[in-house]
Amino acid sequence: MATMTVELPSVMSWVTRDLNFSLEAETLREALDRIRAHHADVAIHLFDETGGFRPHVLCFWNGTNTRWLDDFDVPLGKRDTLMFMQAVSGG
Amino acid sequence: MKVTLIVGTAKGAFIFRSDESRKSWKMDGPLFRGWGVTAVARDAGGTFLFATASDVYGVAMHKSDDLKEWRQVPEGPAYAEGGDRKLKQIWRIVADKSGYYAGVAEAGLFRSGDGEKWTPVRGLNEHRTSKSWMPGAGGLCAHTILIDPKNTQRIWIGISAVGVFRSDDGGETWQDKNQGVPVILEDKDHCEIGYCVHAMVPDPDNADIIYRQDHRGMFKTTDGGESYTRIETGLPSGFGFPLVIDRNTKALYAVPLESDEYRFAKDGCLCVYRSTDGGDSWSPLADGLPQGNAYVGVLRSAMAVDNLESGGVYFGTTSGDVYASSDGGDYWTALPCRLPRVQCVAAFIEAA
Repeated sequence: MATMTVELPSVMSWVTRDLNFSLEAETLREALDRIRAHHADVAIHLFDETGGFRPHVLCFWNGTNTRWLDDFDVPLGKRDTLMFMQAVSGG
Repeated sequence: MKVTLIVGTAKGAFIFRSDESRKSWKMDGPLFRGWGVTAVARDAGGTFLFATASDVYGVAMHKSDDLKEWRQVPEGPAYAEGGDRKLKQIWRIVADKSGYYAGVAEAGLFRSGDGEKWTPVRGLNEHRTSKSWMPGAGGLCAHTILIDPKNTQRIWIGISAVGVFRSDDGGETWQDKNQGVPVILEDKDHCEIGYCVHAMVPDPDNADIIYRQDHRGMFKTTDGGESYTRIETGLPSGFGFPLVIDRNTKALYAVPLESDEYRFAKDGCLCVYRSTDGGDSWSPLADGLPQGNAYVGVLRSAMAVDNLESGGVYFGTTSGDVYASSDGGDYWTALPCRLPRVQCVAAFIEAA
């Protein structure tokens, strides 16, 4: 089981004190599922009613935009990071 | 007495505090920096509830006992995953002795017994006409909730571009209540919708008397919404958004705007209108307000009264100015700030 670091944007400080937290997962999909299950306060701001990421939320796995991945069933390494940020889109 | 004025803007909430004289104000904030603050309420126990919304990160509700320490409500209003409605904004939070209600966009009503866990009011959200509800310029929003204090089973809800519905059974069933108000857009299948209520306030002593700022004018019902009549004598325009009533004097306050095509103060002259005779007539209140080059609007939730004996009235504009009156609107002062677009204003009184 790999330990992943999750990084949230500063605007999320009104939602949680833990803008950086760790979780254990075997795959990226499992990591996202764990965010939903164990960090529901954060998850409602990352995922919408479609079940996917909100349209203007970007999720980078080790610097790679997860929207470019064919699927999320990819194994995690020992020091992986998952960083969420706001898309520079619109306006 | 102390007065706490909360101004929710597109980028956070600002807190203004003053004593009963309301001559000088101290500002704190922003709270929820970067988040839109769209609705504010305080329950009977003194706990504040704020609704936040972000185009990026969605919607949430937060609670605080002191406006300092905050926590997000764990199971706030939410539509089911995979459904055809999305939660875009909480427009109104009402904390009533029977519980809590929240009106949201896309249009729906949610209820909670404790303010922690919210559930949909299916009788409204799945109303037989709901598939035909169309958004107005401000979205498909359920923005006004009135509850009869003498019979909490009677609830009115206002939905922009849809109309007013009333429930007489605590939200189980809902009937349209728009008779006498012109329709804005007739629906092909449901002739009872297509009415564009902007705001409603009840008489403090008689829930059957409701004043209604509508897209098509200013109206009044004396029978709980069974029928409406126009009350526009003295108003320069029937179009506007906010409507509030002082509990003590029963004075009504509105901010007419130049038609739905323009939606700003007519000729750039910002003016509040007051009625002290139950809407029979309206008079302008402009002393202290900009009477030129003020092409601003006032959104439906951006006006409030404090219900002190010398009536405090407050409103914020779409360009971020906040105006206050401590004498029922006779004279206005601009608070020393220039904020983001003001979305909601609420005033609360506390013992000094």
